[in-house]
Amino acid sequence: MSQTTTPVTSTVVLKSWKAPIAFGIFTVVSFVIFILLNTGASTNFRLSTESDFIQLPAIDLPALGTGIFVTALLFAMTVLSFFFSNKGKSSPIWMISAFGFFFMVGFLTWAGADGSILIPGLLLGTVGLSIPLIFGALGGIISERVGVINIAIEGQLLAGAFVSAMVATLTGSPYLGLVSAMVAGMLVSFVLATFSVKYLVDQVIVGVVLNVLVLGLTSFLYSQVLSKNTAVLNSPPRFDRIDIPVLSQIPIIGPVLFRQTLIVYLMYIIVAVVAYALFKTKWGLRLRSVGEHPMAADTVGINVAATRFWNVALAGAIAGIGGAYFTLGSVGAFQKEMTAGAGFIALAAVIFGRWDPIRATLAALLFGFASNLQNVLSIIGSPVPSEFMLMLPYVVTIFAVAGFVGRVRGPAAAGKPYTKS
Amino acid sequence: MGIFSRKVAISSAAALGVVALLAGCASAPADEAADGGSLALPCMVSDSGGFDDKSFNQSGFEGLTSASDELGVTPITVESAAETDFAPNIQSLVDQGCTLITTVGFLLADATKSAAEANPEINFAIVDDGSITADNVKPILFDTAQAAFLAGYTAASYSTTGVVGTFGGMQIPPVTIFMDGFADGVAYYNEQNSASVKVVGWDVAAQTGSFTGGFAAGVEAKTAAQGLIDQNADVIFPVGGPIFLSAAEAIKDSGKNIPLIGVDSDAYVTAPDIKSMFLTSVLKQVGVGVADVTIAAADGKFSSAPFVGTLANGGVGLAPFHDYASKVNPDLQSQLDAITKGINDGSIKVTSPSSPK
Repeated sequence: MSQTTTPVTSTVVLKSWKAPIAFGIFTVVSFVIFILLNTGASTNFRLSTESDFIQLPAIDLPALGTGIFVTALLFAMTVLSFFFSNKGKSSPIWMISAFGFFFMVGFLTWAGADGSILIPGLLLGTVGLSIPLIFGALGGIISERVGVINIAIEGQLLAGAFVSAMVATLTGSPYLGLVSAMVAGMLVSFVLATFSVKYLVDQVIVGVVLNVLVLGLTSFLYSQVLSKNTAVLNSPPRFDRIDIPVLSQIPIIGPVLFRQTLIVYLMYIIVAVVAYALFKTKWGLRLRSVGEHPMAADTVGINVAATRFWNVALAGAIAGIGGAYFTLGSVGAFQKEMTAGAGFIALAAVIFGRWDPIRATLAALLFGFASNLQNVLSIIGSPVPSEFMLMLPYVVTIFAVAGFVGRVRGPAAAGKPYTKS
Repeated sequence: MGIFSRKVAISSAAALGVVALLAGCASAPADEAADGGSLALPCMVSDSGGFDDKSFNQSGFEGLTSASDELGVTPITVESAAETDFAPNIQSLVDQGCTLITTVGFLLADATKSAAEANPEINFAIVDDGSITADNVKPILFDTAQAAFLAGYTAASYSTTGVVGTFGGMQIPPVTIFMDGFADGVAYYNEQNSASVKVVGWDVAAQTGSFTGGFAAGVEAKTAAQGLIDQNADVIFPVGGPIFLSAAEAIKDSGKNIPLIGVDSDAYVTAPDIKSMFLTSVLKQVGVGVADVTIAAADGKFSSAPFVGTLANGGVGLAPFHDYASKVNPDLQSQLDAITKGINDGSIKVTSPSSPK
């Protein structure tokens, strides 16, 4: 989100061919896969589960017919996109979304041929896998916008997961567990902030060391303490799912978005608040100025060190909630290394989302969708080898970053310690 | 200058102190082996699951402990935190003067092979891997497909929706052998009872299926189980260390009454808080194999011929139904007994590409 507009002289028309070329490649892929390599007869799409308020009938899509229809549609959009680019306009966002949607319909019909896909299940899993990534990415955005590179997201998630499981078990209250997860994430942040703001240590190195430290510490305590007293220390109560009246009865997306636990609703609020506050409030302006040009901020009387310290702490608290999701929201008991690299994917989402809360959330959702797609397809038996399927989310992320994001510019002063001269 | 040197000296001393303290935490080398050299010193390296994984590392560790108690020696054990620890951990046991080093898990095969080549005078045993052919390496293998076959038959018999599901941690032979046996057991049930129970999550012919990509009981494993429930599976067989814990949470969320089948040890005993969810467990008695090899080696009867656990020698088996005893088909046990007999006498062939050769 660059705040400055580059002056473009009226005689130069910049033609970007990225979108039409990408569309063209995907159209060729869909022609080859959906039509030439088509094997099955039809795919059954189930749109509602037994517990849904409104029952939608299942749809059977013929595999070959859908393949031809989708390919034709994609071809039409590619032509339209070339037309736009030739005139010097960029392809509208609705067209990119529609292209993605129809490609996905074609892909699911091809890959799920002769099987049955439960659409709400696919989406529910997507949200489930994305939530820790979203919290982690928000923590990363706040920290990097204020000028401190946050590699320690993984450590903050893991610390949150560990402490929330233990506190919730001891007190019997998931709410206290959630609060303690925020404190745990904040403590990790305090170390990061102290070393990078006060002692000017290389932020990347501190972050990496913190990840290893938290991993080692939680694994050690898990083996030595938790696993020996599971009943007293590691069997936390989970948050109950809360149905939001009316909204949870919307077909397909209702149960996915509005029949969730407190942590998920908290995520909606935090994403909205951070997105608003970062760009529309005094707090956000100060935070970004410290991350872009700390000397200028200092000149106008902003305390750079304190701003950085406390906002990094806030970032840790938010990432800590993501950690609590692993235990109190999803799986229950803490397990060794249970975050399984989610913090690093969150870091990718920060860059993919160009340090913007909404875009980073969408990036995290894309990753969650790709992960769950992989899962669903490998269950119904896809023709692709399992090891390759496990790569799918990462491949999608690389394509998305390379194809649709391109060059990104982070906060100018991120990673650079500031000293008053 | 003087102050600076003193600072350096103090911090170096402090650093040394910390190192010494940490080193002190490791198990002390057994004195008997150090001075005499005649006594056996059995040692063990875990894979990244650690000795508290409620699964094969733990089972192997218990086997080692019981054998050592019997021999009256104190074993040295090292846990690996990551794959990069394997080679250094084995080397440190070599340096401690171990006479038999047992490495737990297929993933340690490369590290074990190079250590065995470098130290021909030390004996090695490796659990779950049969790829190494050396005079000083004994593979401890389990034909778990036989026991998983019984579990598959049981699952198919219990299922009312006609769909049973399985998913694994990583696609490696010690995992897929369970899934192969399970799917073949379901196929055998279909053949014997002209039923059409379907397996989701593993395709024996194509050798592709559902995997979480690791052995952590995290969100991925829960999503994988959720995917199986979405396909109407009403028995779930999660293969790989603690991932069944995530599957149990997915089942609780679905509100359905879906039993799990445990792996390696009797999950009814090892996971007491969710014991009522287990239909049965596929037992892989790693401890039996390890204890057997450890005692034989101490008696000077070490050989490189593989130990293969089967239904016949009790190395693998099916756990009791416990709480489900009254819910399964009353004829099931006698059918399973007949199948066991068939497998033992060779009239029923259970084969898997991952079976010990």
